[in-house]
Amino acid sequence: MIGIVSYGTYIPKYRVCTEDIAAAWKKNPSEIIGALGVKEKTVPGVDEDAVTIALEAALQSLSYFQGKPSEIGALFVGSESHPYAVNPSSTIIGEFLGIGTAYLASDLEFACKAGTAGIQMVAGLLAAKHIAYGLAIGADTAQSRPHDALEYSSAAAGSAFLLGSSNILASLLSYTSYSSDTPDFWRRDGIRYPSHAGRFTGEPAYFAHVMGAAIKLFQKTKLRPEDFDYCVFHMPNGKFPREVAKRLGFSEKQLAPSLTVDRIGNPYSASSMMGMSAVLDVIKPNKKICMVSYGSGAGSDAFFWKTTQKLETVQKKRKQHKGMVCQQIENKTYIDYFGYLKQTHKL
Amino acid sequence: MNITVAGIGMTKFGELWAASPRWLASEAVHRAIEDSGMEKKSIQGLFVANMLSGMLGMQGHLGALFAEELGLSGVPAYTVEGACASGGLAIHAGMMSILSGQYDTVLVLGVEKMTDHKPELVSSALMGAGSNEERLTGATFPGLYAMLARSHMEKYGTTEKQLAAVSVKNHFHASFNPLAQFTHPITIDTVLKSSCVADPLKLLDCSPVTDGAAAVILTKKVMRASSGVQIIASQIATDTLGLSGRKSLTELAATKIAAKKAFQQAGVEINDIDCAEVHDCFTIAEILAIEDIGFGNKGEVGPRMEKGVYTLGTAARVVVNSSGGLKGCGHPIGATGVKQIVEITNQLRGACGKRQVKNAKCGLAHNVGGTGATAVVHILKK
Amino acid sequence: MISPVKIWRNQQHFTKLIGKTGIIVSWTMIRVPPDGFSEQAPYPLAIVRLDDGTHVTAQVVDWDISQLHSKQKMITVLRRTIETTADGVIPYGIKVKPI
Repeated sequence: MIGIVSYGTYIPKYRVCTEDIAAAWKKNPSEIIGALGVKEKTVPGVDEDAVTIALEAALQSLSYFQGKPSEIGALFVGSESHPYAVNPSSTIIGEFLGIGTAYLASDLEFACKAGTAGIQMVAGLLAAKHIAYGLAIGADTAQSRPHDALEYSSAAAGSAFLLGSSNILASLLSYTSYSSDTPDFWRRDGIRYPSHAGRFTGEPAYFAHVMGAAIKLFQKTKLRPEDFDYCVFHMPNGKFPREVAKRLGFSEKQLAPSLTVDRIGNPYSASSMMGMSAVLDVIKPNKKICMVSYGSGAGSDAFFWKTTQKLETVQKKRKQHKGMVCQQIENKTYIDYFGYLKQTHKL
Repeated sequence: MNITVAGIGMTKFGELWAASPRWLASEAVHRAIEDSGMEKKSIQGLFVANMLSGMLGMQGHLGALFAEELGLSGVPAYTVEGACASGGLAIHAGMMSILSGQYDTVLVLGVEKMTDHKPELVSSALMGAGSNEERLTGATFPGLYAMLARSHMEKYGTTEKQLAAVSVKNHFHASFNPLAQFTHPITIDTVLKSSCVADPLKLLDCSPVTDGAAAVILTKKVMRASSGVQIIASQIATDTLGLSGRKSLTELAATKIAAKKAFQQAGVEINDIDCAEVHDCFTIAEILAIEDIGFGNKGEVGPRMEKGVYTLGTAARVVVNSSGGLKGCGHPIGATGVKQIVEITNQLRGACGKRQVKNAKCGLAHNVGGTGATAVVHILKK
Repeated sequence: MISPVKIWRNQQHFTKLIGKTGIIVSWTMIRVPPDGFSEQAPYPLAIVRLDDGTHVTAQVVDWDISQLHSKQKMITVLRRTIETTADGVIPYGIKVKPI
């Protein structure tokens, strides 16, 4: 049996409101909130980056872990905002976690699904009994061009899953992946801001791949949407996950606990993992979850998780230490558009 | 220990754009040699005090540089560095070299050129006096002393007004010192209204960026009676480099230890001191210095400062920083400790004109490096 | 560019300093920053006494003015520290945040 042994999340303290961004560009805020479904998004501190954010999430996951950091045999960090083009975030994080030197480290990039790709890779190593524990992290300080539509949603956060073959709080019972070459959103090497193909990012990109991976998962597990208790999707905005859930046959109730996007925006590689963490924070043992990520370029990773009794111990600790996703969401300070530009190094 | 201060000299302190380090040194040394009445060739050793030349000007090896510049090529020469205590440390080195028996007469030169570079760069370079931990946090010297101020204020009730009183006193004293950087008195209000640099310290709580040089000739030779000022104690103590290692944030232990040893060595008592030049890099630093040397009890110096207890004309006993101190006279880092000896010597000679402390017979100089990682105390007597 | 070797050597001390709790002993607000910190200014600086009795001097992050006082509970975190050239190794270090 393979699954999540512990999980950690980190949401930076700062928020900027869609209203304030819209006002700066003399746009109608209610139109934008209506279109995107994002009221406010997270902003990293001026001294935070994908590495520091990933580290916070990883440290939190290790704080609920009974074992030692040195037992971790693999560490994958997925991000679109790795501080270096060449120099692994994973070893910087591994060093600060005190993992030691006996581990496989690698940085992953696949737009917003780099974190979940890591989950599948760790799962493979666990199944091969090559490692005892592996850490998969998705973390981003997402960049967007000022005045671009993405400015309202590109956010920052980190989510870490510590996976193993014992003391599991959520078993990984099945997983699939759906990949293709679809240029809906990209960033060239050396170019500061990403570009996207507008409406092309919808049907042929997000929906095709999320549904593709989900349907493959249904076929593989012989489960239907109603057999699951909850579902989690990558959340680029408030509309897409709601729409895809509906199309796949999930109910609003199944989707609800995962919807972090309205309050934090889209933290790219951390999005679906954060949504999954939000679900894990509040549900009971023996619940089935369908989780599907999406990364532009494009691909989706789908997972079938089932919670165990061990979930409750970690839930309690997270609540006690104010580490739950909903608690981290509430721990916030608002900054204005100018502060947002400063803290994201645009000034 | 009775080493005579044979000659003293210093340049004006201030923003001396046209003055190069070489010019500053020549000026100060020329005046010291003239004052001593000795011949240049009696100088057997040169001790240079400087902190920033290497960091800002990429120039090290100042012993050889200034020996050549001063026409002393061939004479043993080297630099002594201990951040802002470099001057006091160089005086100590000069004295030890004579006491060792190796030299009879030596020259101690403190020189600093700070205005060639933008303030942010100078501020960063000055953090070379602190710890790596402090540098990596983005600390500045005003910031570090501000934390000492806050601790003092919280423990003893010292107020911002009392801190401002230090600055007012030192500007008042400086107005009688033709070589001081600042020439006009200021008011408490002006200090309190100046812009905040690191809460609670404001611009006028902080000593300025200054160019300047000071030189002292020390000798064991018997000199003519009229300039018979002697250094009778020279003591140094160190403490942790960074504030986070200190046992207390309301005292500088290095000052306490060096002062105690100095009084012991000199065989004089605190009440024998008529005039003292203490290290007021920031207003709080003077309050701490006065307390730690023993001129006032912990927590009582703030109120006493407001009452003028250490001010020329109203002093109860010792006049502190008649030169204007670092705040009023200026603080060219390496030169300060040497300038302090120049001022005390002048006081004991009765040569201070409008800022003369009446019947000054015994004086003290206190020079600190960093936030108190080094403290040097000299006691002089006529 | 800051020496990568120095960064590497310094960072080895930080691992065991992350996630430690303590209280503010004294603090200030740096309004005139040194070179390499202009993007972050103004920022508070504090001396924090950790639970084990040792002290750290560190920049305060994620703060509210009401939290800048002696005895405020703090925790150590890892953040970027001094700004460096665009092609240099990034220095990370210890800062403190109110809890």
